[in-house]
Amino acid sequence: MYIQVRALKNMKVVTGVVGNDIHVVANRLLELSLDARGYEVFNLGVNTYLEEFFDAVVETGADVLMISSLNGEAEGWSREVQLLKAKYKHLDNLIMMIGGNLVVGTGSAEDIIPKYKNYGFDIVCHQVDLNTGLDQLEAFIEERVVNDSDIKESNK
Amino acid sequence: MSSAAIETNQDSNNRDEKLLIDVGSTYFKLSTDDNLEQHFRDFNKDILDDLMQKCGDTIAGFAKKDVHICSSANGGLTTLIVGISHTFSLKYATNIAFNSGINIIDTVLYQDIEDYSIPSDLIDVVIIVGGINSNGGVFSSRLYDYLAQLHYSNIVFVGNEIDAPTVEENIDHVVILPNIIDNRLHIVEDHLSDYLTHLYQQDIEGKEDVKNLYNITSNQIYPTPYIVNKTLPLIDAKFSVVNPFILLDIGGATTDIHYSKDLVDDNLVSENEYDRLVFKKLGVYKSKQSLIFAAKNNEFVYELLMHLKVTENIFEEQSKKATKILMQLAIFLVLCKISHYRKAYINIKLLSLNSIVLTGGITKVLIREEIEDIISFFYKKILNSEHNPVTVLDSHYDIWTLEAASLKERGKKLCQ
Repeated sequence: MYIQVRALKNMKVVTGVVGNDIHVVANRLLELSLDARGYEVFNLGVNTYLEEFFDAVVETGADVLMISSLNGEAEGWSREVQLLKAKYKHLDNLIMMIGGNLVVGTGSAEDIIPKYKNYGFDIVCHQVDLNTGLDQLEAFIEERVVNDSDIKESNK
Repeated sequence: MSSAAIETNQDSNNRDEKLLIDVGSTYFKLSTDDNLEQHFRDFNKDILDDLMQKCGDTIAGFAKKDVHICSSANGGLTTLIVGISHTFSLKYATNIAFNSGINIIDTVLYQDIEDYSIPSDLIDVVIIVGGINSNGGVFSSRLYDYLAQLHYSNIVFVGNEIDAPTVEENIDHVVILPNIIDNRLHIVEDHLSDYLTHLYQQDIEGKEDVKNLYNITSNQIYPTPYIVNKTLPLIDAKFSVVNPFILLDIGGATTDIHYSKDLVDDNLVSENEYDRLVFKKLGVYKSKQSLIFAAKNNEFVYELLMHLKVTENIFEEQSKKATKILMQLAIFLVLCKISHYRKAYINIKLLSLNSIVLTGGITKVLIREEIEDIISFFYKKILNSEHNPVTVLDSHYDIWTLEAASLKERGKKLCQ
């Protein structure tokens, strides 16, 4: 598996802003922060469609797909995520993360996070500080590596 | 062939004027500074013999170095592209192929490669693409097993650097070129574009009757659509065209569409201002039957026929009126194919369109009002809009000569 053999800090991340959303400043900040943490970043920019995200993962061999949304548009698009991802044959190990402002109007994280996890995301950050979100990603990756090692051990 | 005329042609070196010739699937067009000739082709004759018989006197007045020819008469190259995603590898390779003058393109998504039927015809060139340079291990024996079942003349790999040596080892005579996708997922066009244009050139040289055209020119013969695409930035020198616009070249065998990049929402960032796509077998002479077939499968066509006050019996007729109706149908079908009504390789934002330029055989058959009638029917029926882009007719069919005129202007200015 990619994650086991690749040092955490050299992982590839595809990111961008989903749907008809032009919040380019947040998108740029995200790219800079990922870059500073040592990830190889492929930023698709604003106004990105779901299929472009998955296709970019295929072309780059990315480990993480990080979708951002600032105007709540993600909700409409995210309903399609599982259906679309199922069409791709080699994305089972892809880490799916979404963050930003994930609803139109207001909503609590307690309601929003389970909903997005049902849509197929592993990590959901609703109105969370950028660095806190990226820390969550690192923790998730480390946990996955540990779990995979455990499974390997028990299979021996 | 008129050898006397060719000898004269070789001796005429004392003019600075250029002779431009376009050899189409149905017409010859010859353009000089002050004249434009057009002739219907005689398909029972060799192209050069036919050309010399009809325009020998004009050609005789020019030296070989002053004769420039473009041609679509070899039918274009057939291409099969194997890529790993629709949005990047397949789309980028398709874009480069269309802009290089390739006409017929089929695509295969690598992850589903076993599900595609094997084309029985000979493919002129297979293009394999996928992955940025740091993403290796994309292709495996599944690719080689598929390729082993194909009949092709040329094969080129323009994918990631890591897989290139293995691909080279496993595929005989494969040409390895730099990746068309860079590390920022942007398109890199030049190498594949040059390769395909060169292949077109070789194809012409391999086809006896087109090859003979080199008896009257010492310049490279280019694909006509490639030349038309190059002239588009210069179009307002001759026509009142307001950007963004599309150019429809509805001819005898295919229909070409050249469009401003402003008209598509695209992840494809390139230096071209205009892109091209082709609908094969959508012409009114050589591919008349497939045009009729496409028409019969369009749910709005019967309404359109009623609007034009004819019935479907018109498809069986051989008359001037039947040709006109076919031309009108071709316009309608093309607009449908590039609109959101049909999901295609691209969807053009037709409501943002300011001008539609029409060129090709269509300008000889239809008058402006007949074209505008169809365009207006399309906008009302399919897009529910009163939008009405301006129709511009290239009636003399000389849009392809603009690049030469511009070069000449620039040359004069430099001399001054």
